[in-house]
Amino acid sequence: MTFSIRKAMAASALAVGMAWAGSPAYAKTQVNFTVAEYSSKTGPYFEEVAAAFEKENPDIHINIQVVPWDTLLQRLTTDIAGGQAPDISIIGTRWLVDFASQGIAEPVDSYLTPEFKSTFIDTFMAPSVIDGKTMGLPVAASARAMLVNTELLDKAGAKAPANWDEFYTTAEKLKALPDTFAFGLQGKEIETDAYFYYSLWTHGGDILKADGTSGLDTPEALQAVTLYKKMIDEGLTQPSPTNYTREDVFNLFKQGKVGMVFTFPMLIPQIKAEAPNLKYKVLPFPEGKAKATYGVTDTLMLFSSSQVKKEAWKFIEFAYKDEWRTKFDHGEGFLPVTKNVAAEKYYSSDPDIAGFAAGLPYAKFAPTIANWEEIADTKVRALQQIYLGQAKPDEALKAAAADINKIRSK
Amino acid sequence: MKSRTRIPTTPLLMILPSFLLAMSIIGYPILDLAWTSMQEVSRFGKMMGFIGLANFAEVFRDPLFYSSLVRTLIWTVAVVGGTLIISLPIAIMLNDDFYGRGLARVIVMLPWAISLTMTAVLWRWSLNGRAGLINATLMDFHIITEPIEWLATAPLAFTVEILVGILVSIPFTTTIFLGGLSSLPQDSYEAAVVDGAKPWELFRYITLPLMKPFINIAIVLNVIYVFNSLPIIWVMTEGGPANGTDILVTYLYKLAFRFGQLGKASAISLIMFFVLFVFTIAYVLMVMRQEHDSTAEEVKNDA
Repeated sequence: MTFSIRKAMAASALAVGMAWAGSPAYAKTQVNFTVAEYSSKTGPYFEEVAAAFEKENPDIHINIQVVPWDTLLQRLTTDIAGGQAPDISIIGTRWLVDFASQGIAEPVDSYLTPEFKSTFIDTFMAPSVIDGKTMGLPVAASARAMLVNTELLDKAGAKAPANWDEFYTTAEKLKALPDTFAFGLQGKEIETDAYFYYSLWTHGGDILKADGTSGLDTPEALQAVTLYKKMIDEGLTQPSPTNYTREDVFNLFKQGKVGMVFTFPMLIPQIKAEAPNLKYKVLPFPEGKAKATYGVTDTLMLFSSSQVKKEAWKFIEFAYKDEWRTKFDHGEGFLPVTKNVAAEKYYSSDPDIAGFAAGLPYAKFAPTIANWEEIADTKVRALQQIYLGQAKPDEALKAAAADINKIRSK
Repeated sequence: MKSRTRIPTTPLLMILPSFLLAMSIIGYPILDLAWTSMQEVSRFGKMMGFIGLANFAEVFRDPLFYSSLVRTLIWTVAVVGGTLIISLPIAIMLNDDFYGRGLARVIVMLPWAISLTMTAVLWRWSLNGRAGLINATLMDFHIITEPIEWLATAPLAFTVEILVGILVSIPFTTTIFLGGLSSLPQDSYEAAVVDGAKPWELFRYITLPLMKPFINIAIVLNVIYVFNSLPIIWVMTEGGPANGTDILVTYLYKLAFRFGQLGKASAISLIMFFVLFVFTIAYVLMVMRQEHDSTAEEVKNDA
């Protein structure tokens, strides 16, 4: 008995010793990188970049954590609060102000060489600049556009709409088709507010007025939301939009049940994979008083708490090489953020991607303001109340504007 | 025998280590929470300084807090009540000896093995208006002609969520009841049957009174679990549409991890803790008094 215990102890001691010996003789520098998951391709792509980088830099280990978008902000919040923040992370540019104002984000101007800086398209660099300091690099960009099902349009004898009046008449014609919803309207969860901005901007309104107060209590905003509400009431959308997330609406489009949706370029690879026979066309948003699209960027941010900024930056520069950017943008269906990739023929010859890229000259970006998520939630609540008929459009918008001004202390 | 007033130190010393361990595990997070709730907390959890009860004042000014509180009470009462009403007959049925009882027990317990989040995701898909299995089935059976958008409006969505809440609470509650039923003395039943008691009378005058302690424990534990339960509502509606299905814990989750108001969220969390604490103490006291009364009555009868 005693003998076997001793033997076991000796064996475990040996095991511990071997584990020690197994660790590398020299200390590898570890760079922790939190990656937002755009699709199932995102994780493997970044692992591939990291592996290629480690081959060239054997003394650096890139530790990749793939986190879904829905939980990313929560994950980063708990990591930072617990003192376990990563060294670099992909974040939504709309959160960057919060990170910058709390001193979490490291300004990268001192790392950014002029040559490296010149590889980026200025339009996409701009949202990451706060108070004159570059707080991160654009890592992904998309512009939104309208997708129409051309087969349904032909069947209904309608033409693709260029402005909101045509949009409405086209919707009426589409409604006459059996088993078809004219317009897919999102009313639930993430980006319900974005679906409203498309209408808001093209009607000439804006998220914030020139004086920095909320733009929801303007006639343009009222016009934008009344149009949606009217279409819901007249059965020109799918029934009960408040039960439809972005994905639900897109799924209806993929199934050929919806004539028109507002969407992002990432839907194109999905359609090609899941509904290859669907006939569709990418068009600009219907015009009202203005032409507009929603430009969305995500930012690669360096944490000020990082102890390995130099190594992290080395990896960042590596990951922005053209070959990697091409692979990333094509794989995920993004618009390019670097000039060299944008110059590729693919972005002008491919009708789908060109359709989305066409909006870039007049793209609007979400304002970089603090407490963005809370403000967005206030808007979504007001929109849902309007869509459900729980509140009158003008009253709900005014109340939401007042709440937003309070959050922003304006 | 020694002096009566002397406190026996040895037993106290012996439970001291585990008492301290329990206190540090349970007590530390609560103290930390209380401390956080009185701080100004930055977007990312840094303490910016003591602000007293300002977070609580903000919570009590917030209309969404009150509507979530009311909804939490409805949610808890409905889910726990529904669970008890359904679980007791199930447990009684499973306690009877019948062919395939083992299989039936496994089937009832099975949902317990699946994570709550997964169950909620499954229901979210099944309840989808156009692509969901529920609508498809109902339409195939010609029960409905048009698909129902189950989660589109708050009242219907909340009702559905309560039903799912009941469904996932049944296995645990049934287990408690089954344990209770198998420990009931058989001779009282035999005596009652000899006296000509009908099945309903057996249930009403023997099963129910003897099961009381088990029902009580099922109520307390279920109230605690359900009051704090996030996954079902969060996964199915995220408290929407228009905050119409928010209960305190989903509202708190939004405040903490979406809006970064960790101070206010800690305050709500502490309020929730006190609500549960007061409920549990009050309930236990009530049960103890009842027991005391009934034993007193028995003593009187004996005399």
